[in-house]
Amino acid sequence: MPTDLALLRLLQLVSPGLPVGMYSYSQGMEQAVDNGWIKDEAQTRDWLSGLLRQGLAQVDAPLLARLYNAWARGDDAAVRQWSAELMAMRETAELRAEDRQTGLALARLLAGLGVERAKPWLRHPQASYATVFALAAVEWEIPLAPAIAGYLWSWLENQSLCAVKLVPLGQLAGQRLLQGLALEIPALVEMALSLPENEIGTRTFAVALASSRHERQYSRLFRS
Amino acid sequence: MDSHKPTTPPHWQARLALGFEQRNGKTVLAERRQLGPLTVQRAFYPEGGLAHLYILHPPGGVVGGDELDIQVRCAPASEALLTTPAAGKFYRSNGLAAKQSIGLEIADGASMEWLPQETLLFSAAQADLRLQVELGPHARFIGWDMVCLGMPECGESFRQGSALLRVRINRQGQPLLVENLQADHEFAQAVWGLRGNAVLGAMYAYPFPLSAMDAVRELWDNQTGFAATLLDGLLVCRGIAPQAAELRTEFERVWRLIRPVVIGREACPPRIWAT
Repeated sequence: MPTDLALLRLLQLVSPGLPVGMYSYSQGMEQAVDNGWIKDEAQTRDWLSGLLRQGLAQVDAPLLARLYNAWARGDDAAVRQWSAELMAMRETAELRAEDRQTGLALARLLAGLGVERAKPWLRHPQASYATVFALAAVEWEIPLAPAIAGYLWSWLENQSLCAVKLVPLGQLAGQRLLQGLALEIPALVEMALSLPENEIGTRTFAVALASSRHERQYSRLFRS
Repeated sequence: MDSHKPTTPPHWQARLALGFEQRNGKTVLAERRQLGPLTVQRAFYPEGGLAHLYILHPPGGVVGGDELDIQVRCAPASEALLTTPAAGKFYRSNGLAAKQSIGLEIADGASMEWLPQETLLFSAAQADLRLQVELGPHARFIGWDMVCLGMPECGESFRQGSALLRVRINRQGQPLLVENLQADHEFAQAVWGLRGNAVLGAMYAYPFPLSAMDAVRELWDNQTGFAATLLDGLLVCRGIAPQAAELRTEFERVWRLIRPVVIGREACPPRIWAT
């Protein structure tokens, strides 16, 4: 990274303390646990590794790269196009709502911090989290590859916190998951940076099933 | 025909372009262009003005290098239901992918039902399957897509097969749903994929009201392999199953339930489904 300030800005952007409410979303994990699909640490790792490789690295990361480049060159039409594409790839109503709510919360935060370009996105239905995250990274001069790595890391940290609460797992098991799955992130960032457009897409079909069914789960702690 | 056995089989390029129009309260097949071995039967009318049409592919299966292209357009206010009399079959690949591209365009106030039999991908098949739907203003649509990986009835897995399954549904030119899924043995087995099942399917309906969602979801209260969600007015049902017949039964139940809501008619199953 070119400056220490960029690193600190990235830490701020991926902090669990960022006021966007990320902790209230489990992205189908709550239902998967309820289905009996995730019962222990090993099954949690298989589930999260699958989501990371087949979902996040195949959709969020390559689209985050395109959004970042579009913001960096001031190409609003491309920002809108990739945001619409990302939203259309969210497979369930809950996953779309989560993306809209966290995207809006981050846009509000950036606007409050004086980022002018966040303001038009305060009422935009396709302001995905990645759309606004990419804007923050560009405005705060965080280079692209660390920005993607940070995005994947913050997802992983949130999901492991969900697993500790839901499966449930001990705190140490949660840290072991982070320690192990983080090893996958550097290669996934590299791959995402060169993924051709026609290969962008998730194949986590069981997550789509779990997330759809979560919309009707009787008693739940999480909003997705 | 050449009497010598060719070292590589000839590749079929089959194209079918259909256009429906509304004339005096009846939907007619006004346009029909075909190239190669894809054809249709005469439309028939078991429920008034809505046309039922069967698309036929007499060779019965495709091999690597083959290309099937089907384009169907429903002009304003026309109503059509399309189905196929037999499952689509994709045989073992000779190294090339077989391609199938389906484009459906539903104009202002028109309705289309796209309800083909399932697609069977034999073990070691390589397939590139695309479905693109363009919804005009006030368009109504029900469609489904069922894919079987390998031949589970014969104990044959999809170990060497690979398929790209792409779906794009646009509403007035804007993407409403985009799926781009690579199906292979890892996907079929994975806990995040098909969880050891051989069959996956999706069913779509537009426009679908939130008020009708509970009735759909109640069909599957105790089945973790089936689920429904509502994406900006588009109903999406997904399912996984060990065999195609189970998925088919579930999607037909949904179709019977939702057809009055989406198309405004009670279910009138195509006769061919009963045979």
